[in-house]
Amino acid sequence: MHNSNFVRTRRNLIASLMTVLLLVLGAFGQYDPDPNSPTPVLLTEYDSTRALVQRANLSRRTPLPVSGQLAFAPNSKATLYVTNIALMDGEVANAFRIDAEDAKGRHYLFAVVDIQPMKEDGLYAITVLLRDEAGFWEPPTADGDLLIALTWRGLTSNRARLGLGVTGGAIKDDPGAVPMPLGSTPKTTISRTLKAVSGSKAFSGVPDADYGGGYPFSGDRKRFLEQATFGPTVAIDQRIRRIGLRTWLAEQLDAQYPSLNNPYPDLPLKSTNQNDVTLGCGPSDGSTFYRLCSRDYYSMYPVQKWFYTEALYGGDTQLRHRVAWALAQMWVVSGVDTQQASWMITYYKILSRNAFGNYRTLMKEMTLNPGMGNYLDMARSTKGNPNENYPREIMQLFTVGLFMLNQDGTLQRDASNNPIPTYSQDTVNNLTKVMTGWTFCNTTCPSSQPGIVNYKDPLILNQTNHDVTAKTLLSYPNAVNQTIPVNLNGATELDMALDNIFNHPNVGPFVSKYLIQQLVTSNPTPAFVGRIAAVFNNNGLGVRGDMRAVVKAILLDPEARGDVKTDPNYGKLREPVQLVTNLARRFDVKSASLGGPSDGVINNLSANIGQSTFTSPTVFNFYPPDYVIPGTSLPGPEFAIMTTSTSIGRANLGNSMVYSQIAVSENAPAGTKLDFSEMTALATADPTCNRLLDALNERMMHNTMSAQMRSSILTAVTSIASTNPAARAQSAVYLVATSSQYQIQR
Amino acid sequence: MKETRRDFLKKSGCALSMAALATQMQHLGMMSALAQKMDDASPEGGGAYKALVLVYMAGGNDGNNVVIPNHSDATISNYGVYSAARSAQGLAIPQAQLLPIAVPRMGGLTYGLNPNLGPLAAGGINNGIHELWAQGKMAIVPNCGTLVKPMTKTTYQNGTVQKPYQLFSHSDQVNQSQTSISNGQSFSGWGGRVADKMNAASNPTGLLPMITSISGAQLFTAGQTTLPLAINNASTSLANVLNPSGFTNTGGPARLTSFNQLRTYDLSPNYINAASHVTDLAMQANSALSSTQEVTVAFPTSSIGLQLKQVARLVKERLDLNINRQIFYVQVGSFDTHTFQLTGQTTLLQQFSQAVRAFYDEMTAQGTQNDVTLFTLSDFGRTFIPAGTGAGVGTDHAWGNHMFAIGGSVAGGDFYGVNGSNGTPFPTLSVGTSAPDDTDNGTSAKGRWIPTTSVDQYAATLAKWYGLADADQAAVFPNIGNFTTSNLGFLP
Repeated sequence: MHNSNFVRTRRNLIASLMTVLLLVLGAFGQYDPDPNSPTPVLLTEYDSTRALVQRANLSRRTPLPVSGQLAFAPNSKATLYVTNIALMDGEVANAFRIDAEDAKGRHYLFAVVDIQPMKEDGLYAITVLLRDEAGFWEPPTADGDLLIALTWRGLTSNRARLGLGVTGGAIKDDPGAVPMPLGSTPKTTISRTLKAVSGSKAFSGVPDADYGGGYPFSGDRKRFLEQATFGPTVAIDQRIRRIGLRTWLAEQLDAQYPSLNNPYPDLPLKSTNQNDVTLGCGPSDGSTFYRLCSRDYYSMYPVQKWFYTEALYGGDTQLRHRVAWALAQMWVVSGVDTQQASWMITYYKILSRNAFGNYRTLMKEMTLNPGMGNYLDMARSTKGNPNENYPREIMQLFTVGLFMLNQDGTLQRDASNNPIPTYSQDTVNNLTKVMTGWTFCNTTCPSSQPGIVNYKDPLILNQTNHDVTAKTLLSYPNAVNQTIPVNLNGATELDMALDNIFNHPNVGPFVSKYLIQQLVTSNPTPAFVGRIAAVFNNNGLGVRGDMRAVVKAILLDPEARGDVKTDPNYGKLREPVQLVTNLARRFDVKSASLGGPSDGVINNLSANIGQSTFTSPTVFNFYPPDYVIPGTSLPGPEFAIMTTSTSIGRANLGNSMVYSQIAVSENAPAGTKLDFSEMTALATADPTCNRLLDALNERMMHNTMSAQMRSSILTAVTSIASTNPAARAQSAVYLVATSSQYQIQR
Repeated sequence: MKETRRDFLKKSGCALSMAALATQMQHLGMMSALAQKMDDASPEGGGAYKALVLVYMAGGNDGNNVVIPNHSDATISNYGVYSAARSAQGLAIPQAQLLPIAVPRMGGLTYGLNPNLGPLAAGGINNGIHELWAQGKMAIVPNCGTLVKPMTKTTYQNGTVQKPYQLFSHSDQVNQSQTSISNGQSFSGWGGRVADKMNAASNPTGLLPMITSISGAQLFTAGQTTLPLAINNASTSLANVLNPSGFTNTGGPARLTSFNQLRTYDLSPNYINAASHVTDLAMQANSALSSTQEVTVAFPTSSIGLQLKQVARLVKERLDLNINRQIFYVQVGSFDTHTFQLTGQTTLLQQFSQAVRAFYDEMTAQGTQNDVTLFTLSDFGRTFIPAGTGAGVGTDHAWGNHMFAIGGSVAGGDFYGVNGSNGTPFPTLSVGTSAPDDTDNGTSAKGRWIPTTSVDQYAATLAKWYGLADADQAAVFPNIGNFTTSNLGFLP
């Protein structure tokens, strides 16, 4: 299933290079194992695609059944049999899910609630609860077979029949589906002992990758770069091929940020009053001075330009930039509210500085960030006029979330199956009192200027405005600082309250799941969330909230890695920013003349399809992390801004980027254009355009383009005369770039 | 039910596919002779045209400054009570500025609307919505909010009645007002569920989905089988609003063919299926929206003005689109006025009033004023006690709020809803321990009204007028049985 053939053909070459590589790797190299997990196989009857099945809760010593002629009621449990899996220490039932399709074409996600090794080597009994996990659907009608597949680490098994209510019914087997009885499939040789959850950081089920240094897995390199950067380029792909993922990660985690040739814009504070002639831009007189002054100080233009320049061209800074951007969509402040670039830069520095730091530090610095203080009103909250905006949102959106979570990110439920609120309005009221008394440092800080709101230095405490009554904060087992006594200093109380929040057990799974959704996949398995939350809770050295360890664990997780992902519920819609930067980087983005670099003034491209950077419509970001795609039970945050309108907008984005350019103008001093010369050369060299399609398949689709898709694009491309290879290349790129197959990062 | 693209195409029918093909060609300017519109076909099924238009006041509109006692009756909260609570911090609207409305339900007492709902001193293009009250075309449902079951201060405080989850939180209260389900999370909106039940019978040959949002993806519009149309506001013509560009380039027609083919491939991965499904819906709607009739009334150029203008265009196109029943979502905001409410809310209410009045007048011009009902919802109301003082004064998140319903079929000029402890649907404007409608006791109480009328009742009243069968009511509004009535009577 994975790349063993590829690897074997390379073995001799690699062996001959091994000595050299060892010398290099010995200094700083880190070993990357084979990223490919085996593909699970659901056992079926010998002569049909009906899954072997029995009632749940029978003894594990019960012999393997020979028949699948049992039917199950909705909400009951069924035991199925799987082989060809290789479990890590601590990898248990929540690493698996069942995707079930009924005769009406509806898909359900069933939870796997138990897994037990059988006496047969490499064979496991898994117990499935026949109820949609999201609880959105009514149960499937119990009138015949479902087609079920077991998914694990982004891979999917064969699909087999399972009778619901009765066996039989209208659903048809997949084309080419064959029986998969015991003995028809390769057995893995991994120990079948299931160990209790431990701290093991084992990466893959395949312990001995038979290749040398570097990272030869072409498909997974591109997938990795889509997750860790703003898009693969030839240069970075070749570098990872050479040095491997872990070495590259180590470089990125320690690199200076931002890039040397793209420093943060250094913008002076300006009056919040735009009509203030002495401190603002003067009268709105249409002068060039007024135009440029407004643009540079009272709009997000310089921040967006800087941000996109770093995304397009940053080298060693890609990972930090990517994670900071993910955090910016969690700890949202918006330029819609305060249109000044200077404070947005101050805010963004906190995100980037702490992207690989400690989450507790991020919480403190962000709480006292004057931009946040302005946006969510903490800078105006006093004991006489307390404001609960920030206290509510720091809990709801930035740390613990609304409902009590298990450590794998799933909801805890009470006896009536209802989710359990994490806190009450009373908690909000109490935290509000804690957070009173802070204000802008307008006179005594390094950036203070008379008469100007200081959006650069942290908020300062005015103890006379601080509510010194006693408070009761978040309650949880062994809660830190659940109560705060009377008459404390506000700064002391703030630290106590942040410790109370930071140590709440929800923070690990809440932050981990959010980051996984941003970087890897919209619907991670609970096991994936649980593995990352465990790292958040303890980085191995007893430290909680170590983001460096968290980011690394996400990107090296076996659910993130692998050349091919076949789970039907794996992946995510590319957000507009990622769609734009991935296309731009993939096709060597340059200035409008192609004579130099782009100026980074490309925010309009993403803004047109729902994501104008640094101007989120509300604190809930451009899209909420718990959005469910209408008509499905599938979480898909980015789908909240995928409407009929923006779907056409995405096609038009493809049209702009492939067939047009951003011309030079006052706001775009160099302009932007993609360079398709390499693709055009391929179309020139091979008039059948197969090489062009091969290149696009490898670079954009991780080598997963279907035969149908390729054939359709080839027909369109070759309808253009071979004397016009540039148009052929453009047509091919447009079709891949605008396809749903590419819009979904998988 | 999840719908595969195959199902969708099957349901859409052959006629649509042909029309779609023809109009795509027209867009390309190649074969306009083929692009036959279905002008002559009168809509089948479903009866006369009706539409619901939701104006969502995003961020939580401070209803306490929109509908205000304008009397001095000492037996019930009067202007003095209002003024005493809000004037010291500068948030009270002077009584002389209130736009009077007589309210039969309140024994004929006079209340007052925020002055920004009437003629404007400058920049107005119409007289606003205030005068629709006297014309009997506008009703108010006071103190309406999310509820699981009827609730009093006693049951709120002793916990014997289930509360809506996460009261006072924006995202959750938005979701609950749009789903009409407050006892747990729901992934479908009540508009979407109404459409699930009614679309097949009401719009059997409709060329658009039953629901259109002019404000992006909204939970209100999402059903279990219904996907909404989402389009740009009137700054883009209907003909261009979903029209992909660039297929006139070299190789364009062949590229369009492939572009359309790719949407039908590789649909096993559910995310790819979902993305293709949305794009497909857009391309089909694009085919249907090839010609445009313009409105005749002047609309403001604010966002809400342009949104409602686009709705008015679609209403005018209803025959060409074979639509008998239609639901629209538009949005104005943000009303989240923790600070600087005086300037912020003023601007937004002016935009709201001017745009809604233009829309009502346009419906009258089209002769559809009795067929179209516009109504408001918001995240929640805001605290009666202000936060901050002076120019920066604002209000915090609260609960019950005052809703508006406007249209020729509305039995306007009155309050509707369930009476509270004071014997009327209007809350008692007092705060703290002795206040019957405030959630909290003590000195930190801020005046968060416990609703007497639920969003469910309000929504069910609208849905019944729209044509939702009684037999389907419980499926669309699963908690409606918890309340004494499902019809508040403002749409007889």
